[in-house]
Amino acid sequence: MDERFSGFAGRTWRDRLDVRDFILSNYEPYEGDGSFLCGPTERTRTLWEKCTELLAEERRRGGVYAIDAKTIAGITSHPPGYVDRDLEIIVGLQTDEPLKRAINPWGGIRMVEMACNEYGAKLEPKVCEIFHKYRRTHNDGVFSVYTDEMRALRGCGVITGLPDAYGRGRIIGDYRRVALYGVDRLIEEKREDLRSPELTTITPDTIRLREEVHDQILALEELKGMACSYGYDISGPATNAREAFQWLYFGYLAAIKQQNGAAMSLGRTSTFLDVYLSRDLREGRLTEEQAQELVDDFVIKLRLARQLRTRAYDELFAGDPLWVTESIGGMAEDGRPLVTKTSFRFLQTLYNLGPAPEPNLTVLWAERLPRPFKEFACRVSYDTSSIQYENDDLIRPIFGDDYAVACCVSAMRVGKEMQFFGARSNLPKALLLAINGGRDEISGAKVAPEFYQVKEEPLEFGAVWDAFTKTLEWLAGKYVDTMNVIHYMHDRYAYESLEMALHDTHVGRFMAFGMAGLSVLADSLSAIKYAKVTPRLDSRGIATEFDIEGDFPKFGNNDDRVDSIARECVVLFDTKLKAHPAYREARHTLSILTITSNVVYGKMTGSTPDGRRRGEPFAPGANPMHGRDVRGAVASLASVAKIPYEHAMDGISYTFSITPGALGRTRDEAISNLAGLIDGYFAKGGHHMNVNVFDRRTLIDAMEHPEKYPQLTIRVSGYAVNFVKLTREQQEEVIARTIFER
Amino acid sequence: MSCEQEREEVKGYIHSVETMGTVDNGGIRFVLFMQGCAMRCVFCHNPDTWLRMGKEVTVGEITRQLLDYRAFFDASGGGLTVSGGEPLLQYRFVRALFGKCGALGIHRALDTAGYCRHGDFTSVVDCTDLLLFSVKVMDEGKHLRLTGVKNDVILANLRSAAARGMDIVVRYVLIPTINDSDCDLHALADFVISLNGKVRVDVLPYSRIGIAKWKQLGLNCELEGVPEPTPDHLARARRVFRERGVPLRTG
Repeated sequence: MDERFSGFAGRTWRDRLDVRDFILSNYEPYEGDGSFLCGPTERTRTLWEKCTELLAEERRRGGVYAIDAKTIAGITSHPPGYVDRDLEIIVGLQTDEPLKRAINPWGGIRMVEMACNEYGAKLEPKVCEIFHKYRRTHNDGVFSVYTDEMRALRGCGVITGLPDAYGRGRIIGDYRRVALYGVDRLIEEKREDLRSPELTTITPDTIRLREEVHDQILALEELKGMACSYGYDISGPATNAREAFQWLYFGYLAAIKQQNGAAMSLGRTSTFLDVYLSRDLREGRLTEEQAQELVDDFVIKLRLARQLRTRAYDELFAGDPLWVTESIGGMAEDGRPLVTKTSFRFLQTLYNLGPAPEPNLTVLWAERLPRPFKEFACRVSYDTSSIQYENDDLIRPIFGDDYAVACCVSAMRVGKEMQFFGARSNLPKALLLAINGGRDEISGAKVAPEFYQVKEEPLEFGAVWDAFTKTLEWLAGKYVDTMNVIHYMHDRYAYESLEMALHDTHVGRFMAFGMAGLSVLADSLSAIKYAKVTPRLDSRGIATEFDIEGDFPKFGNNDDRVDSIARECVVLFDTKLKAHPAYREARHTLSILTITSNVVYGKMTGSTPDGRRRGEPFAPGANPMHGRDVRGAVASLASVAKIPYEHAMDGISYTFSITPGALGRTRDEAISNLAGLIDGYFAKGGHHMNVNVFDRRTLIDAMEHPEKYPQLTIRVSGYAVNFVKLTREQQEEVIARTIFER
Repeated sequence: MSCEQEREEVKGYIHSVETMGTVDNGGIRFVLFMQGCAMRCVFCHNPDTWLRMGKEVTVGEITRQLLDYRAFFDASGGGLTVSGGEPLLQYRFVRALFGKCGALGIHRALDTAGYCRHGDFTSVVDCTDLLLFSVKVMDEGKHLRLTGVKNDVILANLRSAAARGMDIVVRYVLIPTINDSDCDLHALADFVISLNGKVRVDVLPYSRIGIAKWKQLGLNCELEGVPEPTPDHLARARRVFRERGVPLRTG
């Protein structure tokens, strides 16, 4: 065993599972620029060409290439699959064919039935029978205990997108452990945990945990079996870079075979892998070209990952995303940058293979990152619009220096923490419920308690705020209860045994709540406070329109009068949520993130007091409302930066779109200004930034001629999509967003 | 009231603010568009800033905003750009604001056409870090026709700024058929060479973007039929300066 670790320093990581210690003991920070990077090899080009043909065919077939509607997905459910066995360096597919999607009924059989139906596949009757008759799914579990009130809330859309009919995702297995230790060692550690006093004292909690660890061990055994079917024995540690990539990828592959989670993120692998690449390069076993080739091949695999989902799901999370989020860079707590040559190599894939939404490349940005790396990342952003940035200086003090981002903006310590994903609550809708005495402005149904009686006279801020506060308090309680039900059932019926096997047995848990429509909410309250807003009631006595007299400050202009309202709403909701205990002693967190559901949420929400009309989309994430941020990008960022991360610890998503010309007159100036913009935003306390650099004209042309833009990638809200994969409605919303230009 | 307080309370009239100006080659800039201009350039792309109305602000208010954006300036090497309209019409305000910025270490750029009394001009220029000086055309007759005023005062101001050793970018908006002849370009090159100072020339393309504003304001735009210069045209104009050894603003 020691031989396989030859050339590696450090002791602690050998004695116990500690990937962080391995990285810190062995990695070589890189402070130079990208001039060492290699383009794609002939082999990479040929392989990627084959894949792009498959991807084009997938688009032609309406978004789904093929479905295996017979085999229930699992780690060893399918025989090995290849794109081109002779060309691939890293192997492994979810099914026996690239892009073929498996069925995964554990989250819910109805989603599978619907998806098969929508995409014209015939679901094996036996599968239906099993999951309707003999085996309860997560979805059935949840609905067997939902209260009437929970159903009503879900129905009216004040809380939606909940993972009660599909896999929750947002759990990151520490796939690096597979490469570093080999699977046998991981199994041995789990067995050891089962023998520990904490787990041999029998209580309901330890019974559950013992069963989970038992399942984790089975999953690890299966992982070995899956690798074996590809001709690999991964019971021991990886002995070189290629094996490290392969072992790690097998871990990830097993996870996405076992789980159809909403976000199946990869973690923070580049600097870990760099240790292996550096050793091989040092010992003359690898050239730079071959090192890049490994990264390219690995990324090709990640780009081919697929899950079977319904069209309704696609409305919430458009563009068929899997959030294969890879976190790159950041600083170590000892002050060294965690940037290595492999951090560059990962970003380089966007040139070698062209832009793409997956993997969701996320740069952990810190003030003290090496300048050449910052400029390289900004150059890639400028050229591809495929990267997002998160503020490492803000996150590191809370999550340490070995966290990764799940999905879009959710930080967690890799292998040590997980989260219970909780979608989001529609807060403009909650405001309307408050104004309308608990009645849904669309259906008229009474869904919330009455704290206010609406009349056709100007709204008085104090009274509305009071009713809104009480409504939020009530909503927070229901939201926590609903989440507790969902995650109890998910643990029970769709437990992520492989991903959790790659965690410590005793993990920290977060319960991640969310809010949508922050800018609409803040502007609405601002309108009520600073202008004169008079509701117009319909025949049911419900406010369906609002007359606004006078102007009012709008979020996104660095105006404290309204920015403080936005801030107050976040603090209020976060505080109310924390008042209700969460399942498994999870810590409450809150995100201000919409994914693409800002369109759907808007559709479900009546006219709001800020002048937004019924059905119109919200702004994404924490963005100011389209076109209302009129003082330029920096003012817009300054407003968003005021939202306190300590009250929105699951992330504050800001999507920034700018034309190349508005960023600077030359490419070099633009890149340097972009780096300055990110530095400035993060110095102000901003948390996250999606960067898009494009002209509105390009998007309009892509809408008309999608065939010309197969790889046009844009960042939407914490992730990226192929623009041409969005629905027309979503495309129009993206085009309507504020694009800073000059 | 202390001198400092007095300075904070100097009032100015602004048209608008852009918090992310990037076109000045000086990082991310807070651009203050002042209201009012005494010139009436037929190619003006901000005719809505001509009249002296606008929003009243004080030096103190703007300073507080600038301090709020300091992180962006520090990170990008940016600062404040005062533009317009013609900022020098409100030289007291600009002088007070630049004075404050000087004390705070915020970089100050002045974007002016230089049409004002010499004393007013120098009083502001003396507390300016970078002068962006717009020259419309060298020929006096053409200048009068194009802008409604003569350019003798303007060129004298530019000469005095150069003599003070200021960092100057001369901005020249290239308008096809109007100020793009060899004669026009060489006249400018001659003048810049004669300044013998730290002066670069920035040849900018005329943009038809302003025409819509003219129409909105019910004004008759004389340049209706004039096209924007092609990249090639622009490159040729720049070459004239390069060949004469006049430093160009890169980019």
